[in-house]
Amino acid sequence: MSYYDVMTGNKAIACGVKLARVKVIPIYPITPQTSISEYLAEFIANGELDAEYVHTEGEHSAMAVAIGASISGSRVFTSTSSQGLAYMHECVAQAPGFRAPIVMAVANRRVGSIWSLGSDYTDVMPETNLGWIVYFVESNQEALDTLIQLYRIAEDSRVLLPSMLNMDGFYLSFSYERVNVPDQETVDNFLPEYRPKYAVNPLISKVYPNVFPPPPEGLTAYSRMYEELFEQAKKVIYEIENEFYNVFGRKYGGLVECYQLDDAEYALITVGSMSTAAKRAVDRLRLEGFKAGLLRIRVYRPLPLNKLRKYLDNVKCIGIVDRSVNHGTNRGPIFCDTKATLYGGSEKKIYNFISGLGGEDISIEDFLNMFKILAKEDTSCEVYYFEHPIPKQDKRITPSEIPDGEKRLIFSGGEGCPGCTIPILMRYTLETLGQNVVFSFPPHCAGISFSCGVLNVPYYIANFAAGAAYATGTYRTYKIKKVADKIISAVWAGDGGTYDIGFQSLSAAAERNESILFICYDNEAYMNTGVQRSGATPYGAYTTTTPVGKIWKGKGERRKDMPLIMSMHRIPYIATGAPSHTNDVKVKIGKAKDTVLNQRGLAYLHLLKPCPTGWFFETSKSIEVSRLAVLTGMWPLYEIEYGKLRVTYKPSKLKPVKDYLSIQGRYKHLTDKEIDMIQNDVNKYWNMLLELEKLEKLPWYL
Amino acid sequence: MAEKESKAFVLGGLNVGGWYVGDWRTQKPIIDYGKCVKCWICENFCPEIAITKSENGPQIDLRFCKGCGICANECPVKAIEMVEEFRR
Repeated sequence: MSYYDVMTGNKAIACGVKLARVKVIPIYPITPQTSISEYLAEFIANGELDAEYVHTEGEHSAMAVAIGASISGSRVFTSTSSQGLAYMHECVAQAPGFRAPIVMAVANRRVGSIWSLGSDYTDVMPETNLGWIVYFVESNQEALDTLIQLYRIAEDSRVLLPSMLNMDGFYLSFSYERVNVPDQETVDNFLPEYRPKYAVNPLISKVYPNVFPPPPEGLTAYSRMYEELFEQAKKVIYEIENEFYNVFGRKYGGLVECYQLDDAEYALITVGSMSTAAKRAVDRLRLEGFKAGLLRIRVYRPLPLNKLRKYLDNVKCIGIVDRSVNHGTNRGPIFCDTKATLYGGSEKKIYNFISGLGGEDISIEDFLNMFKILAKEDTSCEVYYFEHPIPKQDKRITPSEIPDGEKRLIFSGGEGCPGCTIPILMRYTLETLGQNVVFSFPPHCAGISFSCGVLNVPYYIANFAAGAAYATGTYRTYKIKKVADKIISAVWAGDGGTYDIGFQSLSAAAERNESILFICYDNEAYMNTGVQRSGATPYGAYTTTTPVGKIWKGKGERRKDMPLIMSMHRIPYIATGAPSHTNDVKVKIGKAKDTVLNQRGLAYLHLLKPCPTGWFFETSKSIEVSRLAVLTGMWPLYEIEYGKLRVTYKPSKLKPVKDYLSIQGRYKHLTDKEIDMIQNDVNKYWNMLLELEKLEKLPWYL
Repeated sequence: MAEKESKAFVLGGLNVGGWYVGDWRTQKPIIDYGKCVKCWICENFCPEIAITKSENGPQIDLRFCKGCGICANECPVKAIEMVEEFRR
């Protein structure tokens, strides 16, 4: 039976994926898409969805896994947003070439130079011309319905193209709406299992995708053939939407949705969730007798050329609302496309309204003002920016207002969770390093909690995958300017920016032995996006993407051993630390400082960061948990100085790991057998460290 | 017309300063200065750096204290007590 529920856009998407019986889900969390990955993990953990879930180490790999799975014959879903979409760009471009019918949901969020979590279309616009079918949806119900249709459209042998479903981040992804969820049987009849004609499978097929580039002469012809596919796709879209309407009773108008457009003299063109407010503006104006109308572009690629010409033929003035700018042209991308389409037809005035960037709200008043501008029919100006004044900052406490405030390198009043140990670690670090340090911050909790200005040293937000690379750049500049012995280029990264997505640039910087200080604070999951599994999550731990359900019982794999992996790069200094052992950490940071300032090479510090929010313990116990981690051997404190390993803190007898595990909610589901296994691991590892300590030098340091 | 320097945001948009995060608090630390032995463990482990040293003992800046309770939990002589705080 179909049922109604009140749910967010992200949940509607996840429900659609479940109904579509997707088989492979490679996914990487990023705000505001995150909860899609969490809902899907939950479905699989509870046995509601039979699919392979791939916790990839970055978006680039997520799309690559998606392509691999799709061409070998699975129905695939992935989703991302913003910087993630930009990071997977290369693989996104590859997918149409493989004719891989992947469906990707994009929760739109600003990408690029000025960081923002807000919704706009700067992330998706660079991806629209790569050969994907691109949809924009207006509501959560439409997101679910479109997702189911998209699998039919993408997998149709006349189309066979990847497709992208855009829904506005926050406006839809986190807003609750009433959504009708169709029943599984009806969806199964509408959307049968995916049976590709040419799967890469040596057991059933002798036809394989051509991975070699054709000679250059063929490429123009190939490109034109893709345009034929898009032409066919337009027909298929209508066909499948009609079929969907007959089964489920809902339709949205195919390529474009027209609202009060029949006799309209002034019309707006919108996409996505802003259309709802625009429709209300049209309603108000209609009551006043003003002939307003609206056309919502649902399918942006293939661009509905004929529909635009047909429906806008009688309109005098058109305003196109863009939520992104093609910088350097002073126009929005939808404006450019639409005006080019309408050029040469009947004479009409076309205006561009640029508004709502970075999640700024476009209100009904704004739309009314847009219609007012249309009614003026002023030919002197074509582009209007609907700006809101840059807000004044709320009042903050300045250093002069507290004792010794001016001298402090880290200030109070950051926005981290209560009980977070990052400021403690940061304070140890800054007290030891002094003020001549420049921090590269790949995105992590501290980037958020410090971003209000609580650090009195320079820091910048680096891209997630490139923390060590940014620091390399600053180090090389200081080196050539002969100040590298005075300034420390440091990276302060979370475990995602170290273990997973940031590993490539870290490993390369270590191999080149750049004199930078890399500090990984390890809270054993992606805490910034809301506790998702990372390469650092220990065995058995609950995270939102390794939930405890009927089938899954927390994370099923052991964590990477990052300090020892780093030692394989033969870098001069590696150490682990914990906030509870203050002097130990400070001595190690001091040694790392010497290593870097003397330009001997990369120093790597690996600091434990107990997280009350993600590990589920009381905020007051952060230091206690850290101490227990050390005393039980879960977090051994050691350093490797030019290959010589030394355990810096040896409890006379290790406490049982149960003391450490039982204090945290994320381990509460563990059985005695699993705890024994973890205990066994810890004992073995501890003994291994003691054995390695006896060596004069680790053998791989040569 | 003289060219003007662009005001677009480049780097260093913020000055140093903190928010009034003290209003996140639901519990408030109360120090019993009679018991306090001035070991400064609370000062060392305060994540908000809201505790400063003074001759009388630790001083807590309640404009910043989020009430996490680490100081009370770590105090070796249990001189700090967390009490429920009600605000209008």
